[in-house]
Amino acid sequence: MSNDFAQFQAAFFEEAAEHLAVVEEGLLELEQHPEDLDLLNKIFRSAHSIKGTSGMFGFNAVAQFTHKMETLLDLLRNGQKAVSPPIADLLLKSTDCLKTLIESVKTGAPVDDAAVQRLTSELASASAAGAPQPPASELTTAIDPAQSGDLTKTYVITWTPPNWLFQRGLDPLQTMKELRGLGELTKVTLDVSRLPHLTDIDPEQCYLAWELQLRTEKDSKIVEAVFEFVREDSQLSIQQVSAKEADKGVQSQSVSTATPMPTSEMDGPKPIGQILVEGGVVSSSALDHALAQQKRVGEILVEQKAVTPQQLEQALQKQRQQESGAHAKKADTASIRVDTAKIDKLINLVGELVITQSMLSDLGARFEMSQLHVLLERVAQLERNTREIQERVMSIRMLPIGTAFSRFPRLVRDLAAKAGKKIQLVMTGEETELDKTVIESIGDPLTHLIRNSADHGLELPEERLDNNKPEMGTIKLNAFHEGGSICITVEDDGRGLNRDKILAKAIRQGLISENDKLSDEQIWSLIFKPGFSTAEKVTDVSGRGVGMDVVKRNIEGLGGTVSIKTTLGKGATFTLKLPLTLAIIEGMTVRVGRETYIVPLLSILESIQPKEGSVKTVVGKGELINVRGTYLPMARLYEVFALEPEHKLATKAILLILETEGERVAVMVDEILGQQQVVIKSMEQNFRKVEGIAGATILGDGTVGFILDVRGLIEIARQETAMAA
Amino acid sequence: MPSATLETAARELNQQIGLTSDGSQFLTFNLGEELYGVDILRVQEIKGYTTVTKIPNTPSHIKGVLNLRGTIVPIIELRTKFGMPTIEYTAFTVIIVVVVRDKVMGLVVDSVSDVLNIDKNDIQVPPQFGAKVDVSFLNGIGKSGDKLVALLDMDRLLSEDEIQEATVATKAA
Repeated sequence: MSNDFAQFQAAFFEEAAEHLAVVEEGLLELEQHPEDLDLLNKIFRSAHSIKGTSGMFGFNAVAQFTHKMETLLDLLRNGQKAVSPPIADLLLKSTDCLKTLIESVKTGAPVDDAAVQRLTSELASASAAGAPQPPASELTTAIDPAQSGDLTKTYVITWTPPNWLFQRGLDPLQTMKELRGLGELTKVTLDVSRLPHLTDIDPEQCYLAWELQLRTEKDSKIVEAVFEFVREDSQLSIQQVSAKEADKGVQSQSVSTATPMPTSEMDGPKPIGQILVEGGVVSSSALDHALAQQKRVGEILVEQKAVTPQQLEQALQKQRQQESGAHAKKADTASIRVDTAKIDKLINLVGELVITQSMLSDLGARFEMSQLHVLLERVAQLERNTREIQERVMSIRMLPIGTAFSRFPRLVRDLAAKAGKKIQLVMTGEETELDKTVIESIGDPLTHLIRNSADHGLELPEERLDNNKPEMGTIKLNAFHEGGSICITVEDDGRGLNRDKILAKAIRQGLISENDKLSDEQIWSLIFKPGFSTAEKVTDVSGRGVGMDVVKRNIEGLGGTVSIKTTLGKGATFTLKLPLTLAIIEGMTVRVGRETYIVPLLSILESIQPKEGSVKTVVGKGELINVRGTYLPMARLYEVFALEPEHKLATKAILLILETEGERVAVMVDEILGQQQVVIKSMEQNFRKVEGIAGATILGDGTVGFILDVRGLIEIARQETAMAA
Repeated sequence: MPSATLETAARELNQQIGLTSDGSQFLTFNLGEELYGVDILRVQEIKGYTTVTKIPNTPSHIKGVLNLRGTIVPIIELRTKFGMPTIEYTAFTVIIVVVVRDKVMGLVVDSVSDVLNIDKNDIQVPPQFGAKVDVSFLNGIGKSGDKLVALLDMDRLLSEDEIQEATVATKAA
């Protein structure tokens, strides 16, 4: 397949995904407003586009299925059928099915044919039932694609060309190419039973016969016309069959007569062996024997002592890597759609940059000291340009979070139906922009949280009415900017977290002991422990205790935090706080001795200057600091990193209280220098992971600064106290 | 003129204009009085010495990291690595930036010397000193005129720095 084609295909998948989203969104809305004709038209148009383009690319399974959906949609659109909940449900299910079909075309993943078939027939019967004609009783015929008004028919063609075929300069391959022009050749089986013994072969005779399976929209007459020139003396039969029969028939055939020819290889030059066999010059067994003797280039080189086997092995490994690399690359060619206004603005800015640059080089060519102020001015301008371009380029990666939210209405609808609850989802702040990679990664955690709210948080309608709550439960999904980060809240007005239940469960699981005094926050954070669930019954949605720990891990993997606010009987709010982008973080620059380090701002709770006597030691070594009544482990950064500090006395230095994953540590530094955005650079790219350091960045003066790994520092502090204790 | 001298002269001439057929090119550099060579194909660039940022808890021969046009590059002090005494950096002190297994690293050396063509026949296997001197990171000893060039095996020389994380295990361990 040529690159161009692959590129078009990629565009198709992207477009199909967009159309599918429109269809799904539209269907959900349609449930609320069944009379909205505009909406129906919109859905129809998107479905139609999918059908059209998939047909164009030869993805017939997709095209056929979409056609069925379209038929039903058309009936709805014409008013011949009314939108009813079962129909909406069926269409939504079909959308899912269509998604998997397209996915399978893209990745080659297997499709549950039975499910597709079932939905196809359901769609057909739904269309048939309401339509004035054909009558509903024709249900069975409607399933059969061969006889219904379906796009394609399947023909089984058995063709035994005359012996003189080659003598007249006719090429069977040409015939097959023509057949392929009509539709899709799904099976090509070569029959070699007439092939005589090698000694008896006349290379100018044709001994071969084929059984072909063709899927096409064309009439059998047109198919027959392909054989016009070779018709004479040929044995030809063209039979129309249903797709199922065709599958069975050819499978058994291919077992008995062997050598099926892959259709994809019909293009392009054939291997020389194949040509020789086909031309009758050699038999296929002779070819196989010859091929068996053939050696790989590497082996020959080794034999000639040009390379050592080790070198060969290395090279082969490299080749494999490249292969797998190429494969992996293909799998995730991500692209992004950008508002043209953003690009226009960017182009303008680049134009300005070019002008500034040429002004500068002009100035540089004939510079005198008296023009220093001009130079400074232009450098300042250059700086402005650069900064603006940086911001604009970053903004290209920014997408509205609504793209991640769009799947939730459907999710909530399905969850509500499954659990027998009444739930409405209110979404706000969909236009809030954040980095594409972050958007892609928060989908799953959010899904978990919403499931959790719908399944555990919200009560059944009766229970809600008993508690003087409206029958309809509400889940609010909200996104907004806060400082340099984005907050996403998932709020429900359900029963809230039950403190006693969580405590009891945690004690039973041995996570805490009965004597532990825990703050509310610490108790809530227990639900993020792996395997923890207080749900009384395990549903297929949630309650198995997997999920919440995954949520926490995922969010923290993105450099974010999760917090919970809840009131018993009133509801719960989960707040996710995430950095706007993964490449840039807001950091606090601190100094220890002569070294500068960056602390991620998100993890800093506060900074304090400890009072005399607030630092206690355990066994004379492990240090703890009293912060308003709580003792936190303390790590002296100069000790951890073996530096020469300015202050060794804690009372002179500054303590940063850092928190990650609910754990806290006090880190001692000499001075806080300021706050700035830093671009994260990888240390592992050219070096390796260094304990206590999350990454590196380039500071304002061009030197490298390290970003502290808060998690790692907590580990180190803990090890030290543990050692001491 | 005796033919042997003529041959040597021709070879030297060839070397100077880079015409030697069966050999490879090496970038040579000085550490004190000694001359070392690295395969020229491994060298990405040579840059003057600039201050580096020290990486905490790393072996002393890892000087630190450097910002090389936006990428973070670890810098290795070859003198320390070879157990030679350190010296004051001068204007000749340079960083040779090499690529080892897709990783970019810098080597601090006293000064760069030359690019030499060394004939295959002029490279002999590294001598064995026993346990006294570690020469495992030498590929061979090259002769160029009356000069002796110790040819470095980059993969072996720099692998341990990146692979062995044990060397930076925390003090607590």
